[in-house]
Amino acid sequence: MAKENAQNLIETSDYIGHHLVNLTFGWCEKTSSWGFANHQQELFKGLDSACKVSEMGFWSFHLDTIFMSILLGAVVFGFFGLVNRAAKKGVPSKLQNFAEFVHEFIASAVNSGYHGTSKIVGPLAFASCLWIISWNLMDLLPVEMASFFGHFGGGFNYFKILPTADLNAPLALAIVVMVLVTYYSVKTHGAGGFLKELFVVPLGPLEFISYVSKHVALALRLYGNLFAGEMIFILIAIMFGQFAMSFSQTLWFLPGLILNLSWALFHILIVALQAYIFMMLTIAYLNLASTKH
Amino acid sequence: MNINATFFAELLAFCIFVFITYRYIWPSMENLLEDRRKEISDGLEAASQSQRKLEEANKESATILDGAKVEASSLINQANSRADQIVDEAKEQAAEEAKKIKLSAEADIEQSANKAKDGLRDEVAALVIAGAQKILDKEINAKANKDIIDSLIKKI
Repeated sequence: MAKENAQNLIETSDYIGHHLVNLTFGWCEKTSSWGFANHQQELFKGLDSACKVSEMGFWSFHLDTIFMSILLGAVVFGFFGLVNRAAKKGVPSKLQNFAEFVHEFIASAVNSGYHGTSKIVGPLAFASCLWIISWNLMDLLPVEMASFFGHFGGGFNYFKILPTADLNAPLALAIVVMVLVTYYSVKTHGAGGFLKELFVVPLGPLEFISYVSKHVALALRLYGNLFAGEMIFILIAIMFGQFAMSFSQTLWFLPGLILNLSWALFHILIVALQAYIFMMLTIAYLNLASTKH
Repeated sequence: MNINATFFAELLAFCIFVFITYRYIWPSMENLLEDRRKEISDGLEAASQSQRKLEEANKESATILDGAKVEASSLINQANSRADQIVDEAKEQAAEEAKKIKLSAEADIEQSANKAKDGLRDEVAALVIAGAQKILDKEINAKANKDIIDSLIKKI
């Protein structure tokens, strides 16, 4: 019994581990070559490297994150681009109506939150909000689906479809915001004024720490929420796994079903809310940066 | 959680998507909505203007109608008075005519009375002559006594 439990534990941690590893393509020190992490895929035989994911250094790419984020971006921005191209001034079509509704929603948030003159804030808020929502929506797809199709359809043993659960993606967004905030701060207050603000008034270097941390927090908040959500989906999925493993665990099926459904419903809120929060904070930070105070 | 070169790919992708939004999506949508807003406000303005025009036209038509009513009633009055006048004239004419007819009738009557008197006189004269002839039963020359009888007749 104890042995069986231990076995189950290993399988469970393996399962979780499996779902938390990205499809990685990177530089392997051992063989001094580029390639997929060991045993992650069976599609490109020649590109399988000897390194595991953990042995790859900074120069590696999470291909699933990159692929999914660009695919989702292409879908979302392609949709808005096409609708805009077909848009007409008269009575709008339903799709156009939807696009206009989204635009108006974001534009009103920008107009009420940002009082500067920059023309980039609207597009930045629009792009970040919609891109993040499209990422987050991937969390509502069944956790096992991507692995299933990745494995049987593409020969990939590891495939994470949720770009938000990979810190690189939210961090990239937050860094873009940070660069813009820095740019507009310097533009508004001058380089000297900005540095003075960071290091002198009113609490000295503490201001600098807060400056950095608020941007890191912007990324971590989004990442943390979605990562945790994904984690809970994985844990719920394990219940179904238990059901599949032995008949005595059939009892887990119903609670699993209820939990999955309720968590998914609740998660819809998080999906939209986190994107909204990211957008509003972006607007607020840029507003602070580009207005005198 | 490991940060690696994926970060740069995401950075690049985000910049590209922001640029696409900045270049192709955001401004055209803003323009579209601004145009629509203007069109709608123009439409509302035009609607209220035409509403005003309608009210003005209503007022105008009401005044025209009132004027027409006044004119019509004055016309009716005029017509009535003219009709009265015509009737009066006709009455007058009729009266005159009647008078004329009466006069000519009286003249006729007088004439025929005179005629009848003449006839009667002649007849009476003849009767008188016959009576006298019978009375006298003599050979009285009718001619010789005519003067006497004529003077008799004239006395009648």
